[in-house]
Amino acid sequence: MKLLSKTIKYQLVFFALFSFVAIAILYFSIQYMVYDDVDKKLAYESERINFHILNTEEIPPSNYIIRVSPVSDTFPLLKNFTDTLIYEVYDDELIPYRDLDFTTPISRQKRYQITLRNILLDSDDLIVGLFFTISIIFILMIAGLFFVNQIISKRLWLAFFDTLAKIRRYKLEDRKAINLEASGIDEFNTLNEVIFAFTHQIEKDYIHLKEFNENVTHEMQTPLAVISNKMEQLMESPNLTEREINLVKAAYRECNKLSKMEKALSFMSKIENLEFRQMTRVNIRNIIENILDSFDEILNFKEIELKTTFHTEFYRELDPILVNVLFTNLVKNAVQHNKQGGFINIILDEQKFEIENSGEILHTNPEELFERFQKADKKSQSMGLGLAIAQKISRLYGFQLSYQYHEGKHKFSILF
Amino acid sequence: MKILIVEDNRELLNDIKQYLEKSGNICEIASDFKTADEKIGIFPYDILIIDLNLPDGNGLDIIREVKKENIDTGIIIISARNALDDKIKGLDLGADDYMTKPFFLPELNSRINALYRRKAYDGKIEIIFNEIKLLPEKHEVQINEQSIALTKKEYAILLYFISNKYRLVTKEAIAEHIWGDHVEVLDSFDFIYPHLANLRRKITSVGGKNYIKSIYSVGYKFTDEE
Repeated sequence: MKLLSKTIKYQLVFFALFSFVAIAILYFSIQYMVYDDVDKKLAYESERINFHILNTEEIPPSNYIIRVSPVSDTFPLLKNFTDTLIYEVYDDELIPYRDLDFTTPISRQKRYQITLRNILLDSDDLIVGLFFTISIIFILMIAGLFFVNQIISKRLWLAFFDTLAKIRRYKLEDRKAINLEASGIDEFNTLNEVIFAFTHQIEKDYIHLKEFNENVTHEMQTPLAVISNKMEQLMESPNLTEREINLVKAAYRECNKLSKMEKALSFMSKIENLEFRQMTRVNIRNIIENILDSFDEILNFKEIELKTTFHTEFYRELDPILVNVLFTNLVKNAVQHNKQGGFINIILDEQKFEIENSGEILHTNPEELFERFQKADKKSQSMGLGLAIAQKISRLYGFQLSYQYHEGKHKFSILF
Repeated sequence: MKILIVEDNRELLNDIKQYLEKSGNICEIASDFKTADEKIGIFPYDILIIDLNLPDGNGLDIIREVKKENIDTGIIIISARNALDDKIKGLDLGADDYMTKPFFLPELNSRINALYRRKAYDGKIEIIFNEIKLLPEKHEVQINEQSIALTKKEYAILLYFISNKYRLVTKEAIAEHIWGDHVEVLDSFDFIYPHLANLRRKITSVGGKNYIKSIYSVGYKFTDEE
């Protein structure tokens, strides 16, 4: 729910509750005023009648008088206000009236008790009237608020939405500091400051971590080179025993594996650092054909039957090194995990590249296949970085790389 | 040929020196920028091997100096930094080759030889090992004056072997030489074998000797010694 709708929702509930309270308050205050008004009117009338009686000893005509009854002069002096309900045929309901009973001064040895009557406001009508009035005010207020809020929010929240859009576009790998403009609103300025500080810190940490990783990779290369060279020298010495040569061989192999791994990882970080930006128009079909050529002999050696279906010839703007690595790794994967006398099928058209190979059932989770250091075969000398690199390159170019297994066929496909 | 090796790691410096000297080169060493700069100013070298990260300077500055002074020499950069920027910068400045550490010494040796052949003989030199003759500019191989047809990879392996003759060349080194280091090549040892088998067969079929000796099953040595 939008903040604005939410605000209006709460305002609506508040105004609804408020309206009832307002109706109650208004009801009582209007009633009080009406009583006050009617009482005053009746009191003035009684004064006028008394005054008239004192001067003329006659009861004056009055619209308010409803009853005049003579009383004895011992009758106590009265001035009583009472409410009374009278049934009105015309309206078919009970109508409230205000009565004033009072006694007149003695005139011609007579004293009268006079009852004056005036109509009061019908409370039902009052409530209904008030309800309608308040409702109209209420609706107008809500409509007004809605429009005002809309206008305000468009203006006030402009800075906020600007910030939001910038955060959304923000990518750590771009290494571009987030540039948030100051607005006239303190809260948003604070938000921007916090976001800026936050992303700045993340960027710093990210760069440090990256540099650390890269430095470790670099610094390890020279010692690795030395170790590898020493092993080679050792292996050149004659008269090594079987045991000795096996030890050296294993150490040499692991040392080279480590350096390969370092190179593969630093290659991956170079992809991440977007160091491959030599965009060239490359002919995908040519690239794949060249790669297959280089695998020709090993395919023969493993007696793998290769079937290729190239539907079209097309060009893409890509970095030639990365494209080569991408397809080489996929072809290599299909060769490596193939069996003697197996097959590889390759299909290429403008939408997709598919490579299918025979091979044993995968024992790892297919979803983890593209993770670093995932090996289908634990005994394998492979480091499990080839597919991770292929995945990284695919992501860089927005290709979708996926894996499927179906009836003894492993299929990798790239959707361009 | 005369080679100057500029590298700050003493061990690596000595390894390179020993390897290249065994291949019949004269090597001088410099472990910092200052020494390297001085030596270049005084002596002529056929090849410079330059590490980029030196304690007192950047190897790229040595290349700048060499180009400024118009010294005619081949330059190979060896760097632990596998950054494309460095590579491009180095090659732009006029370096002939760029190698990323760690590298195999036979690889360095074969690149030095290739560079030297290119620079000194314009590639028009015959490489001869007993009855085997390589004509690099034509990518041709003759055994007892009789041409044999080799695939690109077989030719590359043969040239690599002859550049590093009498030396142990491990399978790892061959694999990297043939397939480069962009891809994981560890499983490629199997890939080497058919190439070697074919190469042996092609050489011996026209009366050549089998000089490829397997060493402890870790690699091979191209040798006519028994």
